[in-house]
Amino acid sequence: MNENIWVLASADSVAIATTLILAALGALFTERSGVLNLGIEGILLTAAISSFLAADTSGSIWLGLLIGSLAGALLACIHALLTVVLRANQIVAGLALVIFGTGLANFLGKPVEGKTVTTIIHPLSFGPLSDIPLIGPIIFGQDIITYASIAIAILSSLYLFRSRPGLELRATGDDPATVDAQGLSVASIRIRYTLFGGLLVGLGGSWLMLAQSAAWHQASTTNGIGWIALALVVFAGWRPIRLIFGAVLFGFTLQLPFTLQAEQITFIPSALMQMLPYLATLVALIALSRPSMRNKLGAPQALGTPFVRDER
Amino acid sequence: MRSPIRIVFEQRNETPKYLSTLVPLISVIAALVAGALFLLATGYSPIDTYTNMLSDGFASSRGITDTLGLSTVLICTGISAAFAFQMNLYNIGGEGQLYLGMIGGAWAGLALGDRLPSFVMIPTVLLLGALAGALWILIPAYVRSRLGTSEIVTTLLLTYVAASLVDHFVYTPGSFFVTKNSAFPQGRLVPDSASLTAFGNTSLYPTFFLVVLVTLTLFWLVKRTEYGYRIQVIADSPRAAHYAGINANRTTLSVMLISGALSGLGGAVLIVGPFGRLDPGITMLGYGYAGIVIAALARNNFSAVIVSGILFAGLRSGGDKLQISTDTPIHIGVMLQGAILLFALGGEAFRRYRIHAVRTERTAQ
Repeated sequence: MNENIWVLASADSVAIATTLILAALGALFTERSGVLNLGIEGILLTAAISSFLAADTSGSIWLGLLIGSLAGALLACIHALLTVVLRANQIVAGLALVIFGTGLANFLGKPVEGKTVTTIIHPLSFGPLSDIPLIGPIIFGQDIITYASIAIAILSSLYLFRSRPGLELRATGDDPATVDAQGLSVASIRIRYTLFGGLLVGLGGSWLMLAQSAAWHQASTTNGIGWIALALVVFAGWRPIRLIFGAVLFGFTLQLPFTLQAEQITFIPSALMQMLPYLATLVALIALSRPSMRNKLGAPQALGTPFVRDER
Repeated sequence: MRSPIRIVFEQRNETPKYLSTLVPLISVIAALVAGALFLLATGYSPIDTYTNMLSDGFASSRGITDTLGLSTVLICTGISAAFAFQMNLYNIGGEGQLYLGMIGGAWAGLALGDRLPSFVMIPTVLLLGALAGALWILIPAYVRSRLGTSEIVTTLLLTYVAASLVDHFVYTPGSFFVTKNSAFPQGRLVPDSASLTAFGNTSLYPTFFLVVLVTLTLFWLVKRTEYGYRIQVIADSPRAAHYAGINANRTTLSVMLISGALSGLGGAVLIVGPFGRLDPGITMLGYGYAGIVIAALARNNFSAVIVSGILFAGLRSGGDKLQISTDTPIHIGVMLQGAILLFALGGEAFRRYRIHAVRTERTAQ
């Protein structure tokens, strides 16, 4: 068997993990504040097409990434308005966002269907370092957003567990009444982190478009990555560092069908290989909900429940 | 730093009847207005788009029968979602259960061949479809009732697996489901004994009335039987249900299986009706996802599902023809679906709360 292709496969896993890390981090910040945003898949798609159109018309990758991220924040803003301000059911609002985002993205993407982005993100070059066998392509063959996503995850961990605002964020997700009694506004914290979460998901969607797929294929551009990201947050126990490893693991299953195809391994039906990432996610979710595991995970206690102060 | 005016949400003890109809109605209108602004901004004519959607969706005999035809499957996925949602079980994998219903129905039709009379074949195909849909939710339902695994992501993930399964059955050479020696992969048509004829020259099939009947039966089941009462108690207060000796695990399992079966029925309806074969195009249509919107807009009320199902079918069938009549992308139909649901959710606040602004008193502590 060709060894080289497995090195490339590992490098691809790290690359695909970029979207997963950013999308799951976005969901993580949102959920840590107590808001469940199931609309990730819709946000990813809208961000992807927004970044496509922006990068294509302006010729600038950076503008593409910016517009895509802002589009993500904009959709998250709808979610915040509905669930935090108007106290709507978070699950249904998230689903509505998926459907709205998918329709919006397909509508905007109609003129460029099947077309390729002309400006794409290229991997950074580290000179001779990138040529080191094995670790060269995996560690030194990525683009700037991939490195940035890992850095953001590490910084997020420090922010969450080592800073005052991080403590306030975690408290809002676990015990909003106490945060309210401290004189902080639960609503304002939740709105802020829902928007920030949307921004990160948007960046993930833009990267997926401008570095990975580079062609617009309607809803199959994201192909369920948003849902895998939501499962990844559970898998990581709402902790950013664990999320990095989980993302690489899921990234591996996502790219496996392509590697096997390139290796011409055909004894496994390709449909079965396409199912693999979703089945792996499913198995992981089930395994994690065993009673012995559940307590260790540490889901935010107030996740999904609107905060209403008793007004006496 | 405090603003002089504060918005207060005051819980209503009783919702006025008129608000229950007014809020969804205004939501739909508001979504259409927002959609019109969006169309203007992207350079399409909202008036042309809407008049075309209206005439192709509702205001012509062709349009209305197409709409009712399409509503058949949408009502199926709508009641599937509503049945689970009313017990706070969020089965959002109706899309995948629908594919399985199609696979199961097509399998039954093809395997039994032309040997049996129609009055045996049609029910068998529908039943097998429903069974396949129930089978597809079995694992999420089981782990939800046993381990408490959230059904939201598990049911959804299986939709992607189901889509790969449809591709597998259609694109594998020599598959049971496809025509042999055909130039391009295409699903094999089920025998005549397993297909119904549409009314006259329309796309409305007798299954529409069957589905309405199923919906009314569910309405009765929930409102008038002990089983329905149990569902209501668990939905309102799991703890009260526990003390009353209600086995919530078993009810959870059965409610989810029935929900899956209803989406599966939707898939089988397509086999005996318009499609007649396993068609990979189904994965692009999103009928299962639409069921979520339909159920949410109907606030999980079964008779309201029929109304919102027909409304959305009109939106879809009007939207689908747009690209022929104008150059507006058909996706505006799906976008409006999402927008209507978003506005309806926002409107819900006005139904549940009395919202008013009060002047903040400076002396108040």
